[in-house]
Amino acid sequence: MNIVVCIKQVPDVDDIKWTNENNLDRQGMLSKLNSADEWALNWAMNLKSKFKEASVTAISMGPNQALDVLEYALAKGAERAILLSDKSFSGSDTLITAKILSHGIEKYIPDYNLIITGQKADDGDTEQVPVSLAQYLNIPDVTHTVEIHNADKNSALVSQNIDSEVNMYEMTTPCLVAVKKECPKIITPRINDYIRAESTAIEVYGANDLGLTQEQTGIIGSPTVVYRAFRPQIEKNTVEIKENYARNILDMIFKV
Amino acid sequence: MNKIIVYSEINAEKVTDASLELISKAYELKLQSNTEFQKDILVEAVVIAVELDELSKQRIYKAGADRIIFIKDTSAFCFMPTIYSKIFVDYFNQNPSDVILFPASEKTRTLAPRITTLLDTGLVADCTNLELVLKNNDIKLASTRPTFGGELMATILSKKIPQCATVRPGTFKIKDVNLGMKEYFEFTPSIYEENRIKLLRSLLDNKVSTSTLQNAKIVLAGGYGIVSANKIEYFDKLQKLAKILNATVACTRKVVDYGIMPSSSQVGQTGQTITPELYIAFGISGAIQHIMGMKNSKIIIAVNEDENADIFNYADYKIVADAKKVIDDMLGSVL
Repeated sequence: MNIVVCIKQVPDVDDIKWTNENNLDRQGMLSKLNSADEWALNWAMNLKSKFKEASVTAISMGPNQALDVLEYALAKGAERAILLSDKSFSGSDTLITAKILSHGIEKYIPDYNLIITGQKADDGDTEQVPVSLAQYLNIPDVTHTVEIHNADKNSALVSQNIDSEVNMYEMTTPCLVAVKKECPKIITPRINDYIRAESTAIEVYGANDLGLTQEQTGIIGSPTVVYRAFRPQIEKNTVEIKENYARNILDMIFKV
Repeated sequence: MNKIIVYSEINAEKVTDASLELISKAYELKLQSNTEFQKDILVEAVVIAVELDELSKQRIYKAGADRIIFIKDTSAFCFMPTIYSKIFVDYFNQNPSDVILFPASEKTRTLAPRITTLLDTGLVADCTNLELVLKNNDIKLASTRPTFGGELMATILSKKIPQCATVRPGTFKIKDVNLGMKEYFEFTPSIYEENRIKLLRSLLDNKVSTSTLQNAKIVLAGGYGIVSANKIEYFDKLQKLAKILNATVACTRKVVDYGIMPSSSQVGQTGQTITPELYIAFGISGAIQHIMGMKNSKIIIAVNEDENADIFNYADYKIVADAKKVIDDMLGSVL
């Protein structure tokens, strides 16, 4: 049983800093593992523990800084960690990110059975990469997964909570599952786990390794392009209510 | 640009409001194109479903569509992204357009990237505004979306055709348009099979009351500021108030994270976008990601102890007070 977990390092959205020119101060911001990817790792480790011969590979696309989250994945129990990193990858949109990941998985983890991803990233919040990745790999997927009941080399049984429906699916492998809920069994690495993880070298591959040209990736290869960026403006004339709070609120409710 | 396709979703046998909102927005873009660029654009609603009833059809035309394309889901997959994407692309390749808009229900957000990946084009998620701009003599779709939890807005163009975007429910208003020409066509797709994925069981989740929140006229929203020692107490009180006042209770992400309220009650960029007549924020500080989901409410009242809370920047009425006490007082008055 070969499980792949796609993870992403994201800026901490609760810790956003701005430069004087109203740009994001990326240098000054803290980075962390995307929350839903932490859940994906826990689901993977939980599944792995059910099999004698199972392995988990964590894969990420990003700058060298993303080695941190891959090290963390190793400490959590992943056997392999792969970073897809290249200057030319910078600025890739969701389509190109999925394309790069699909090339990495096909080339370096060709015998995978199950891919687990987080439903969404804390920063972009598009939920597009997992679906796009499944399409590139031409495999079935279930998004909005709240429970992985079981999975083995041949099939996966999962429950999804989507648009007020709860659906249970059985998929044949290889397949992709995007989780939007934490696994009941959480793994917290200890110091020993980090020490053990240090002995595993993280594999790093670039555009050439993946057979991708610079024109196919990053800002150049991405179909979407940022035309302009701005901070939202507020225009409100706020009236302060200074007394009889409850009465005033109720009066406004009754007027609706 | 000749045509805008709006993928129109059927849920519980009816066309969804989110689809109609987007059709009305497409109609607005058509008007913009007429006045600014003297170019007519066709608004085409594409429906893939087992059935399309007469009422839904009329509502689609009324919202601003020139034409409906109905693609019958003969195998009754009732939404299977791997199949629906192929069916849609079959139609699209024979009848291409420059723009495809998707209403961002959870299901459509799962389908749209399959379609755009098949078409090898981009997809801009959760746009809060759409407009047409002239670039190198081409009319292009400019899609604006929040990023970094809403701290930054980005307007995005697509280098490739079709230019695609998803829009959350509640972002635009449904218009009442009466168009003369109303076209209706059916398209028969190739037969596809899907053996790799099997739906074993499907249930409606009763805990989820998405539609109630979407349709609510009055929303009582609670934030971390009313989370008390026994956590749920003030949310129970809000529920009680809501029942008496015919309102609906909503909350912030933090409250969901604490397990106090279900995620279906969450308003914000990662929750629901709503536009009620009256939105009352109790003990909500005003994190931008929450603001994104409620800032277009008609009237906003904010109650917070911290007079510098960000929520007040977006409020029509500001009350600096302990939100818990105000809730108690309100309950005292109506009970």
